[in-house]
Amino acid sequence: MSRFKNTFSDGVGFDTILVMIALGYLVLFSAFPLVYNIVMSMQEVDLFSLASFDRPFVGLDNYRDVLGRPETMQIFFNTVKFVGFSVAAQLAIGFGLAMFFQLDFPGNTWLRGLFLAGWIMPAIVVGGVWSWILAGDFGVLNHILLATGLGDEKIFWLSDPEFALYSVILANIWLGVPFNMILLSVGLSGISEDVYEAAQMDGATRIQRFFTITLPLMRAQLGAVISLGVIFTLQQFDLFASLTQGGPSNASNVFQYWSWQLSFQNYEIGVGSVISVLMILFVVLVAAVYVRSTRHEHVA
Amino acid sequence: MNMKGLILAGAAWGALTATAFAEPVELDLWTIDDPGEYHYVMAEEFMAAHPEIRINVRTVQFDDMVNDLARGIAAGDAPDITYIDNPEVALFASRGMLLDLTPYIEASDIVNTEDIYPGPLASVSYDGGIYGLPRGANTIALYYNADMFREAGLDPDNPPKTWDELYEAAKVLTRPEENIYGLAFSAQASEEGTFQFLPWVQMTGGDYDNIATEGAARTLELWKSFIGEGLASPDTLIRGQWDSTGTFNTGSAAMVISGPWELPRMSKEADFEFRATLLPVPEEGAERASALGEGDNVILASSDNPDEAFKFIEFLYADMDRVWNDFGYLPASEVEVTDPKFPEIYAVFAESMKYARNRGPHPEWPKISKALQTAIQTTLTGQADAAEALTQAQSAIDRVLQ
Repeated sequence: MSRFKNTFSDGVGFDTILVMIALGYLVLFSAFPLVYNIVMSMQEVDLFSLASFDRPFVGLDNYRDVLGRPETMQIFFNTVKFVGFSVAAQLAIGFGLAMFFQLDFPGNTWLRGLFLAGWIMPAIVVGGVWSWILAGDFGVLNHILLATGLGDEKIFWLSDPEFALYSVILANIWLGVPFNMILLSVGLSGISEDVYEAAQMDGATRIQRFFTITLPLMRAQLGAVISLGVIFTLQQFDLFASLTQGGPSNASNVFQYWSWQLSFQNYEIGVGSVISVLMILFVVLVAAVYVRSTRHEHVA
Repeated sequence: MNMKGLILAGAAWGALTATAFAEPVELDLWTIDDPGEYHYVMAEEFMAAHPEIRINVRTVQFDDMVNDLARGIAAGDAPDITYIDNPEVALFASRGMLLDLTPYIEASDIVNTEDIYPGPLASVSYDGGIYGLPRGANTIALYYNADMFREAGLDPDNPPKTWDELYEAAKVLTRPEENIYGLAFSAQASEEGTFQFLPWVQMTGGDYDNIATEGAARTLELWKSFIGEGLASPDTLIRGQWDSTGTFNTGSAAMVISGPWELPRMSKEADFEFRATLLPVPEEGAERASALGEGDNVILASSDNPDEAFKFIEFLYADMDRVWNDFGYLPASEVEVTDPKFPEIYAVFAESMKYARNRGPHPEWPKISKALQTAIQTTLTGQADAAEALTQAQSAIDRVLQ
C-alpha cells in the first residue's frame, strides 16, 4: 500500500498503478464477459432472466441441444468455408496489390488511397451496395452478365442456396482486401532494396526472388494478417444482416449470425451463448498462432 | 373579516389551487411510431383534452421493442404504456408483466369487448384476462394490376377466387421476356413469412399447432410451383412484403399479396389501375382466413398510475373510426368509417378483417414461428419435401407446446 503513496512523492509504484489500470480494464471488459458467457451457456436463460444470476442450471444440456440440431453441421461447414475462402482470397489479392503498389509509377499513392475505400465504409453500407449489385431480378451483376453474353440466364445470387454463401464471401473479400494490403505494404517496405539487388546480380529470377526473399521475410506479417483476418471474418455480421439474413434455409448462415439469431430472435440466450463459447475457443487457438507469429518478429 | 381570518382564507384558497393545479400525472409511453404518427398525434390530442396528465412519448425501433421492454422491466425502468406487436402480448402477459384490464373494461362506457373483432380480441386475451386494447389492425389481401389483367385477356372484375384460379392467372400474367412475374409474395425466414403462410394453412383447417396436414403441404407445394415455374421471383425467399410490393408497384409483378400499409406508396408509384380482392381460398366454399397484423396498447403491471393510463388507451380506442383515414390501419372493432380513402379497397380489407386470425397466442411464439419458417424455406429450396418438412416443424412445435 505504501508503494501507492510513494507514487505521488517519489514516483515509485507508478508502474504498479499503470499495470493495475490495464489489468482492471481487462478483468472488467474481457474476463468478466468471457466467464459470464460460459456461465450463461450452462443455464436456461431467456430475456426476462437476463438481469438476475438466479437461473436454472442445466449443465451441458445446451451444448447437447446445439450439437443435436439438424442445421448445426451445415452452419459449421458454412463457417469454415466462409472463413477459409474469405481469408485466402483477401490475402492473395491483398498481397498482390501490396506488391503492385511497391512499384514506382505515376498515380501510385492516389490509387492506393482509393483502395482504402472499402476499409473506411461501414459494413452495413457495403452490404447495402452489394445487395443492389447481386439482386436477382434487377441486379447490376446479372445485367452485366446477360448483356455481355457471359451468362444466359439470371442467377439469383442471394436467394439461390447454391450461391448465397459465396455471394456473401465475395462481398466480404472486397471488404477485407484493403486491410490486408495496408498491413502487407508496411512489411514489404521494410525489406531492404539491397537484398533484391544482390539477388538480381546473382541471377535470381523474379519468381526465385519472391520465394526466397519476399516470402520468408514476410513470414511474421503474413502470420499476423492471417490470424487477424480469421478473427475479423469470424466477427463479420453486418454483411449477413444486410444481404441474406443467413438464408435461404440456413444456406448462408454462419456461427456468429446464428448465435445472434438464437439469442435475440428466438430468445434462447443460453443456446446462443454455447455458440459464442465454441467460437471463443477457436479464436483463442487463432490468437495463439498470432502471438507466435509476432514473437518470431522479435526474434528476427 | 380580521387579519387572521384573511390569512386563513388565503391559506385555504392556496391549498385548493394546489390540488387543482397539482403537478400533472406523468405517463411514459413507448411506441414504434415516429413523431407525426399515431401515438404522437394522439398523445397531443389527449393532453389538450386532459391537461392534468402529461404523456412522454419515446420511439423504440420495432425490432428492438421486445428486448428493450424486457430490459426496462428488469431494470425497473419500464414505461406505463407501450405498443406491443400482436403475437408478443402472450409473452409478456404470461409473466404477469401486463395489467389485466378486465375490471377497467367492465367499468368503461366506451370499451365493449363485444365490439372488438375476434382476431384482435384473441390477440389481447390470455388465460381469461384482457391485457391490452388493439390500436387498429391490418390484414392481407391480393392486390392486382387491372391493366395487365385486360392485356392478358383476364377479366379484372372477376379476379382469382380459388388457389387454382390464382395459379392459372399467375401463369397467364407471367411474361419472362419482359421481366414480369405473375405473383409476388413473401416467404422470407422471418415473422413476415409466417404472417403470409399461416392464413393459407388455416383455410384448410390447420393452424400453428396442427401443421403437418395435407392442406399445409398443398400450400407449400403450390408456393414451390410459383417459384419453381418462374411465376414468382426466387427472391421471394429473402424478400419482405414491402420490397415484394415494390416490384408490383413498378409493374414487375402483376399481383401481390400484402396489406393496407402499402396504399400510400402504391398510389404514388403505381401508374396503372390497382385493385384488391380477398385472399383466394383452396376451393370454392372453403373456409376463409386471413392474417392479423398491427399491435396493441398495453399497460405495464408496474405502472404507478394505471387509472390515468387506462384513460389514455380508452381515449385511443374511442378514436378507432379515424385510424383508416388518418393513420392507414383498419379498425379493430365494429365502427363506421365515414368517407374512407380508397373506398373499394377499404371494403375488401374491412371484409377480410372478419376472417383475420391471430398468430398464437403462445408465450414462446418466436420458437413456433421459427419452426414454420424452417419448413417453408427447406421446402422451397428443395432440401426437403413438403410433408417431411412439415412433420419436422410439427415435432419442433410440439416440443414448445408441451
